Amino acid sequence: MYIPILSADFSEWLEKYKGRFINDFITDNRWKYLWNGLGVTLKITLGAVVIGIILGFLVAAIRSTHDKTGKLKVLNVICQIYLTVIRGTPVVVQLLITYFVILAPLGVNEIIVAICAFGINSGAYVAEIVRAGIMSIDNGQFEAGRSLGFNYAQTMWYIILPQAFKNILPALCNEFIVLLKETSVSGYVALQDLTKGGDIIRGRTFDAFMPLIAVALIYLVIVMILTKLVSILERKLRSSEH
Amino acid sequence: MNIDKESLIEVNNLEKHFGDLHAINGVSTKINKGEVVVIIGPSGSGKSTFLRSLNLLETPTGGEIIFEGVNMLDKSVDINKHRQKMGMVFQHFHLFPHMTVLRNITIAPIKLLKLSKEEAEERAMKLLNKVGLADRASAYPSQLSGGQKQRIAIVRALCMQPDVMLFDEPTSALDPEMVGEVLDVMKSLAKEGMTMVVVTHEMGFAREVADRVIFMADGKILETGTPQEIFTSPKTDKAKQFLASVL
Repeated sequence: MYIPILSADFSEWLEKYKGRFINDFITDNRWKYLWNGLGVTLKITLGAVVIGIILGFLVAAIRSTHDKTGKLKVLNVICQIYLTVIRGTPVVVQLLITYFVILAPLGVNEIIVAICAFGINSGAYVAEIVRAGIMSIDNGQFEAGRSLGFNYAQTMWYIILPQAFKNILPALCNEFIVLLKETSVSGYVALQDLTKGGDIIRGRTFDAFMPLIAVALIYLVIVMILTKLVSILERKLRSSEH
Repeated sequence: MNIDKESLIEVNNLEKHFGDLHAINGVSTKINKGEVVVIIGPSGSGKSTFLRSLNLLETPTGGEIIFEGVNMLDKSVDINKHRQKMGMVFQHFHLFPHMTVLRNITIAPIKLLKLSKEEAEERAMKLLNKVGLADRASAYPSQLSGGQKQRIAIVRALCMQPDVMLFDEPTSALDPEMVGEVLDVMKSLAKEGMTMVVVTHEMGFAREVADRVIFMADGKILETGTPQEIFTSPKTDKAKQFLASVL
């Protein structure tokens, strides 16, 4: 095996990679494709997380209210159609439909399009996670709340959701990590996100290795930071019980 | 205890179906202010369902429940308001595990009765002192024994200052050595004149504390009378059989 670091022409090897590095990232400020792309990726993810949480909790509330009380029949059917369609089709197709069929004719900004498409997509997964969390809480908790005189919504808010949230936090976090990585298909609707940024550099320099590895590393680091933050939050929530 | 004969809860012809199962079959009775009513009967007799119907945790399929002059089954009735006046204690405690003992007790008075945090906590500490658990105010439910949990659950219900307390087999999930501490709290509550409806298998408690014992079987009230009458001279065969098996 050829191990460059032990060989005599190590410095030559180093020079070559330095040259590629400079060509990939420094020349023409090409690092800005990654930097700006990262900005776009984070904007889309953040926006989509907010929409996903709001939509997900709303759908979960409707569905579990229906499951527990038999009310909200029509809304429940609408929610079920939403879940079926979103979970039954690929996110790229949803993104393309949202862009080319629905929003592009109206001249809506691409980032907004992507935020909506990914948010609506994520909402479906969040909804099922939250609903599972609500259903996992012993019905006795619910009865205890109601027997004290809390109405349905108050019981949910003060008693069920705080307990459910703790249980679903890992799953919820996982969903947002998946979401962050899924936004890498934003290039399909002419958005220059992180992945597209790396790809543009590849197109300019005809070097695939460095830009794509750099893109992968950036995703990895963000995911690791997110994971760490969630584990800190989890520990805090758990310690509040003892 | 039965000087004040004013009726607090009046149940007329109560019915409850679970699908094909006829859990409660035309139950009528009156519970007076300050009265301690103990409901006994074999399992599956509908006694828990009856108790849970009183505050509408189970929705009856027929009949009426008049509580403080209002028919609780009227569509226009705000059931949440009336539940505030009916404390309930469950077999499995159902304390809120994500809250301290003090928060468990004070959250309902603060949110529903609009007491200030200080007022609610003062009220809670008084009650905790009574049941001998003041030192556990800042503990979480997972740190308590079963008997302690049930005493806290009783305090949680009492802190709303209800007009009646409903007990659904409050000692059935406890280790034997912890039954006494919970029954003691219930006894002192009865002495203070609290109206109580208790579903239990503790015949000793029924004999000692009850003003009236109701014997239920197959969704019906078969006998009702003083503990003396029920325990020493039951009239129906079912009651005789049941008492023979538990006494």
